[in-house]
Amino acid sequence: MREALRYRFLFEQMVRRELRRKYQGSALGVAWYVVNPLVLMGAYYLMFGVVFKVAQHEDYPLFLMVGLVVWIFFSQALLSAAPALLDQGSLIRKARFPRETIPAAVVTVQAVTFVTVLAVVAVVTFALRGVGLSVVLLPVLLVALFAFVLGLSLLASVLHAYFRDVAPILAAVLLPWFFLSPIFFTPDDITHRAAARAVLEWVNPIAPFITSVRDVIWGGVWPSGAAVLYVIAAGALALVGGATLFRRMQAELAVVV
Amino acid sequence: MRPGEIVLDRASRAFDIRGDRGRTLKELLLGKRRAGGPPPVQALRDVTLTIAPGETVGIVGRNGAGKSSTLRALAGIVPLDSGRADCGGRIVTLLELGAGFGRDFDGRENILLNGALHGMTRAEIEERMDAIVAFSELGEFIDVPVKTYSSGMFVRLGFAIAAHIPADVMLIDEVLAVGDEAFQRKCEVRIAERVGEGATLVLVSHDAALVERTCERVVVLDGGAAVFDGPAADGMAHYHEMMGTVTA
Repeated sequence: MREALRYRFLFEQMVRRELRRKYQGSALGVAWYVVNPLVLMGAYYLMFGVVFKVAQHEDYPLFLMVGLVVWIFFSQALLSAAPALLDQGSLIRKARFPRETIPAAVVTVQAVTFVTVLAVVAVVTFALRGVGLSVVLLPVLLVALFAFVLGLSLLASVLHAYFRDVAPILAAVLLPWFFLSPIFFTPDDITHRAAARAVLEWVNPIAPFITSVRDVIWGGVWPSGAAVLYVIAAGALALVGGATLFRRMQAELAVVV
Repeated sequence: MRPGEIVLDRASRAFDIRGDRGRTLKELLLGKRRAGGPPPVQALRDVTLTIAPGETVGIVGRNGAGKSSTLRALAGIVPLDSGRADCGGRIVTLLELGAGFGRDFDGRENILLNGALHGMTRAEIEERMDAIVAFSELGEFIDVPVKTYSSGMFVRLGFAIAAHIPADVMLIDEVLAVGDEAFQRKCEVRIAERVGEGATLVLVSHDAALVERTCERVVVLDGGAAVFDGPAADGMAHYHEMMGTVTA
């Protein structure tokens, strides 16, 4: 813990480095971090809001946006964290510092983008649909989501350093995963069988995050107690598990990257 | 461990040297590694070495003798297969030109980044910023991205940073040779100052004259094992004999 404090400034520098590295020299620069998710959201809206109307919900574009923003954070963080340790190989081979700072910086940059875009979507939604009291729960949900994504990203990055199949597998898995997540529909929209609904709602670990954030922002209602407990537990479990495995596997990093 | 003390105790480490070191999932699932390819290289073979605070030690040997591996084990970057490697106090490493430099960052930003890598806070680095910039003699180049630097400029910046980080142990790997002669002398003076303040120096180099000037003790490595450990003059004689480069 003392070490983490000592390296707080390193973490700050890593975040700057990550911000600069990707879009250095491009005209939009850092703005790309926000433009990309916006373009994706536009495309998905066209697809599921206009062309194939899978579900009927009030203010469907907003319904869709809230879920999409959560998903994009989740998937982009994992996809960019996975190769992060390899990208920074020259650092890892030649200097001793807590290696967690590398994936953590990547996830933090994604998280900042996420919060920015989510704030825009939330403000528009609140203006059109009103704010419920349940909004006080939002910080808790977002912290749990960050912990969840950070934990999985630590895991993905260290695994990918040893087994180069991890990033491609991840990229392949995320696509069907997207369609099975309650982003452009709620489980009720597509099935009435209780068992199938339970699978869609609870087996997919990102689903309770999407549903509860959407309940708060778009629905203006309290998420179910089960969902709140679920996201807190999932966040804690992913973070502890991811950090533990990372620590255990990091010793040989300077040799394998 | 006292600050500045260094201990290697029966340290051994082998490296897999196949080009593609990452394992695939298939290997993991099948529980075996691909056959073929060269066997692992034993970079460190049962090396035992105790260095007292304030000592200056040169490590010499032919290419692939295990010199850099020794430094990387001491720095805690690479773990050992068996044995123990320990450095007391704060360690500063200068292992490769421009290691940890962000190419798109200018000199000053890289000073911050490099200081941070050594566990310093912003305030600690800012305090030393002017001294580092002055020492590097980079002039206006300090404010342009380092991707425009020559290798000599890299070494100037790298050494200037390392020279100003508070350290009990300095681990330096064959980088000084890139600087021009005037800068090399300046580095040697600076190293001597740090040693005078009680820091320990471990220097890897092929430059016999440099080792003899800066180190009082020499360790000769061969095939990952320490074959000589003693006063610099005798050590260099042993080294030249081993390399077949005896001049006298």
